[in-house]
Amino acid sequence: MATITIDGQEVECRDGVTVLRAALEAGWDVPHYCYHPGMSVVASCRLCLMEMMMPNPQTGEMGWAPKLFPSCQTPVRNGMVVRFDSPKVHAAREQAMEYFLLNHPLDCPVCDQAGECWLQDYSLRFGRGYGRMLEAKHVNPKKNIGPRTLLYQDRCVLCSRCVRFCAEISGTRELCIVNRGHRCEIDVFEGIALDNKLQGNVVDICPVGALLDKDFLMQQRVWELQSAKSICPVCSAGCNIRIDHNRGRVWRLKPRYNDRVNDWWMCDDGRFGYKFIHDPRRLTRPQARRGNRLEPIAWRDVPEVVRFRLMQAVQQHSGQRTAVVLSPMMSCEEAWLLATLIRKAAPEAHLVLGHVPLTGDDEHFPVGCEPGNAKFTIRAEKCPNRRGVERVLKAAGGPTMDFQQFVSQATAGELSAAWVVGGYSNDWVTDELAAAAEKLTWLAVQDFFPSKLCEKADLVLPACSWAEREGSFVNHAGLLQAFDRAVQPPDGAQIDGQYLFELAGLVGVYSGGRVREMMASQDAGFAEVVEATPEPAFAH
Amino acid sequence: MAWKTIDRTQSAIPPDAAPLLSDAVKQKIRSFVERYETARAAMLPALHVVQDTLGHLSPQAQKEIAEVLGLHPSEVFDAVGFYSHFWTKPRGRKVIVVCRSLSCSLLGGEQVLEAFKEHLGIDEHQTTADGEYSLMTEECLGQCEDAPCVLIGEKKHCHVRPEDVPRILADPNNDKVDVARSDLYDGVTPDAQPGGAREG
Amino acid sequence: MGEPFEPVLLRNAGVADSRSIHTYRARGGYKALRKALEMGPEAIIAEVREANLRGRGGAGFPAGVKWGFLPPDRKVTYLCVNADEAEPCTFNNRVLIEQDPHQLIEGMLIAGLATRTTTAYVYLRVEYHEPFHILQKAVDEAYAAGLLGRNILGSDFSMECIIHRGAGAYVCGEETGLIESIEGKRGWPRIKPPFPAISGLFGKPTVVNNVETLCCLPHIIERGAEWFGSIGTPGSAGPKLYCVSGHVKRPGCYEAPLGLAVRELIEDEQFAQGMRDGRRIKAVNPGGFSVGWLTADELDMKMDFDDPRDYGLLGLGTAAIVVMDDQTDMREVLLNVTRFFAHESCGQCTQCREGTEWMYKVASRLAAGAGRSEDLDLLAEITQTMGMMPGLSICGLSDGAAYAVRSIATKFRAEFKEHIRRQTPGRAEQVMRQTNPALYDRAMGRQTQSAG
Repeated sequence: MATITIDGQEVECRDGVTVLRAALEAGWDVPHYCYHPGMSVVASCRLCLMEMMMPNPQTGEMGWAPKLFPSCQTPVRNGMVVRFDSPKVHAAREQAMEYFLLNHPLDCPVCDQAGECWLQDYSLRFGRGYGRMLEAKHVNPKKNIGPRTLLYQDRCVLCSRCVRFCAEISGTRELCIVNRGHRCEIDVFEGIALDNKLQGNVVDICPVGALLDKDFLMQQRVWELQSAKSICPVCSAGCNIRIDHNRGRVWRLKPRYNDRVNDWWMCDDGRFGYKFIHDPRRLTRPQARRGNRLEPIAWRDVPEVVRFRLMQAVQQHSGQRTAVVLSPMMSCEEAWLLATLIRKAAPEAHLVLGHVPLTGDDEHFPVGCEPGNAKFTIRAEKCPNRRGVERVLKAAGGPTMDFQQFVSQATAGELSAAWVVGGYSNDWVTDELAAAAEKLTWLAVQDFFPSKLCEKADLVLPACSWAEREGSFVNHAGLLQAFDRAVQPPDGAQIDGQYLFELAGLVGVYSGGRVREMMASQDAGFAEVVEATPEPAFAH
Repeated sequence: MAWKTIDRTQSAIPPDAAPLLSDAVKQKIRSFVERYETARAAMLPALHVVQDTLGHLSPQAQKEIAEVLGLHPSEVFDAVGFYSHFWTKPRGRKVIVVCRSLSCSLLGGEQVLEAFKEHLGIDEHQTTADGEYSLMTEECLGQCEDAPCVLIGEKKHCHVRPEDVPRILADPNNDKVDVARSDLYDGVTPDAQPGGAREG
Repeated sequence: MGEPFEPVLLRNAGVADSRSIHTYRARGGYKALRKALEMGPEAIIAEVREANLRGRGGAGFPAGVKWGFLPPDRKVTYLCVNADEAEPCTFNNRVLIEQDPHQLIEGMLIAGLATRTTTAYVYLRVEYHEPFHILQKAVDEAYAAGLLGRNILGSDFSMECIIHRGAGAYVCGEETGLIESIEGKRGWPRIKPPFPAISGLFGKPTVVNNVETLCCLPHIIERGAEWFGSIGTPGSAGPKLYCVSGHVKRPGCYEAPLGLAVRELIEDEQFAQGMRDGRRIKAVNPGGFSVGWLTADELDMKMDFDDPRDYGLLGLGTAAIVVMDDQTDMREVLLNVTRFFAHESCGQCTQCREGTEWMYKVASRLAAGAGRSEDLDLLAEITQTMGMMPGLSICGLSDGAAYAVRSIATKFRAEFKEHIRRQTPGRAEQVMRQTNPALYDRAMGRQTQSAG
């Protein structure tokens, strides 16, 4: 640990960091564009300049050096004295803002970045408020650089974060800088578009509205958005994300910093994988079979109906011939609630870990790196909570089987009653599974979309997307991470957690924290939720 | 959307285009790699050789150079755009470079530039219709004691006055130097056999 | 000046067949190399330090000190010879390469010996076509004679020499811009630290030296540090090549000791022989744009590393003297200078990228007769924030551009004001609104109020 003095205050900082990082972590909002903690230092934006005390070359006495130093490239040294709050630094920042805006189109009214734009923020804090160039501004073209990203070159401040991202993090090197001087532009080689699985991150790290997400383009004003802390459900990496929503719709997902999980990044599969939330095909009403047809039942009738029909099925066919398939898409709390309620009703029932989708191999970035040196990995296991459900099954005890066994036994007629939880955002019901369901006498299905399985069900309960629930997932590395609810489920549907809570005989409103406390008595690990890494609010 | 956008996701290179770089050119590029620690350091020599062979560095040429050096085409594209000497669109057989330094300007260099523009009928970075001459300017050619200067091909013309322009343009050898030349950075003629650059 | 100076660097210039190794050897060449091989690296560095050889590329940094920064435990050392010479109106390196290429090669070898260089790269600007052919031929001759390559002259010193041609970028004359360019990237200067001596070309210890600096080495070794120090002034030792150009009778490259007065170099019979067409001197730029400008009554300034500071200049620079006569419009000079920097700025640092182009636009307006008196204050302020406050940019181009413009706008302020005063009333506003219609509601300043 080193101790340095910033603006007259003593600050303890970690060894080996730059003054900028130390200042940001200690609460100084030092402006910067090109610096990003996850990438190399280029010191080209010249905004983070500071004054430093140095010995006078002639007298040896310590005094403020006449030169300004970029704080992003100066490592901390014990005893260093620096300051950001001085007339020189203020003048340099004020002038830097004028230079940044010199050829800028000033089109905030039509720019997506408004409200989270660093040009706006810094101009407000220490800009001059007017530019003095009378001549015409240099105009740059707008470029379609990839299937999901647009480049509005005029707004670019040439911080080169996007170029360094493609070189150092994704390793795909699509982006480059062309030309020289004020004619510099960001570009791709013609025909080789910005099209890698991590490309959405360049829009996150762009401090201005130059790189634009086509999906979000002109959809919402960012100050109208509310945010919920969440965990990405697409694979077992468990990337920490933020769901930005407004008026019940999810508009975009952004990563949150977690140095144990995903650093600052998330992949495109997760980033754009939320569209199914607003798919009109979604199941929203509980249904029960009466005769040949499935008929909707009221939500308040669900506990009665479920208990009655479930108990009937168990009594008719014995607990041993009952199976409950807990999908790895479920949160730990939901899985535990369902497992608990089944164990109470039928202690000999089989608990099954649902189908775990696997696609290819883990993908490590930068492309071509050794897996041990990867800066980001997309997991082949395309579900967020296999490990969580496994732990729940272990804690619940009793007979278990795996999904393939479930399908075979059902097909062979050895099972009579089943409750299958889906919750996959794609079409996951195989013909094999549908045929197996044929043999069951009683089937409850908890899923997003109508499917062949639902057609055979006696009871259909709508599952809600992760954005509409709160709970926790355990990622591939065994970290338990909690996520909050963002939007309400469509059409007045109840979230899984709530009706499972009631079915389990508990009274009140479901909350992930409450349930985890109960779970902790069976498995102490469920009390240790891993939080996202705290980061200076203005770090990037 | 009302914005006019350039589509960089589409390439103008035809998918069935014949390769532009012959084996001899590729061999010459590879021979430069031995002179440096990294393949990327052969970038500038490769760009010189290919520009001299093909006349300019089209996107297809850049792509093929990237393949030879094991780089991403964006890295070649990045370097080409930075340097004034490289042309990405076709240029004339001879390039006229008029010096714009202060010394040349003080002695009438701007008028010489205007005279060239008038006689050739083209502006800077343009090429005459017959493909013979391209015109560009450079910030200083380093022959200031003989200002105003004009570089045509490899030959420096000195003490140029506007009235000298027709005579210079009429001279078929206006781009030839008379020192013994090294072909190390020269382009490769179409019928050359693959062979290395002369070491040294 | 009294006795004509006995040429040192230019002693072979003008001699028949001076480029060939035979002529060079016959006239005493490569003797210093043999002596250096016997002296060994420490002795060479000591001699060069004692001679106080300061870099002739513009910064004036002592060569011996620079070599001393190399880490002692290094395995690989690179020597980069800066033959980019893109500073306008400077051409002494070209003369040295064209007239006496083997002098440069011998200098490289001595520097290579001192620094244990494994490979020397000569970064030669592409516009120097004939010098390239000449130097490549000389390098080939040296290889053939066992003076380059493995086991030079039978010793255990080996050094390769590779010419790497540039492609038209002034910023590649900056030492880390040069290194980046050799590595095949855009010539964007690197942040320092780490300095090239620690991590330079390909991440290895690297020394970057100017052509003229290296050409001094054979003479220092052969004739000794004391002899070298006897030429010039204390603190500025040795001979210097002065490039004189502009409105003088005899522009050219002249060798003389450091410390000569500017006036002498312009007017003396041995040098530029005074002004053409009977004109008088108005302005002189004595060392490359960045050092600043001199007015006609400042020509007693001495061309050494220290005197220029007393005249408000940054230093000696390249010691290239451009002379402007009294018919020169300083607005055109300002336009030329700002256009140069705007064209050559690499684009990394915000204030250089935007500021150089902005200054060019303002200078264009002034030259078009559409200036305002506020523009001079505006230029002063732009230069202040571009580079007068040190540490604002990664390399010195920004500081140089700022200093050049500030020097011209300050020292010739009266002339600029006079031009503005003589403009057609309302013309400034008219031109500006034509250029930028978005200004339709912007106040134009006092000038228009008085015109309206």
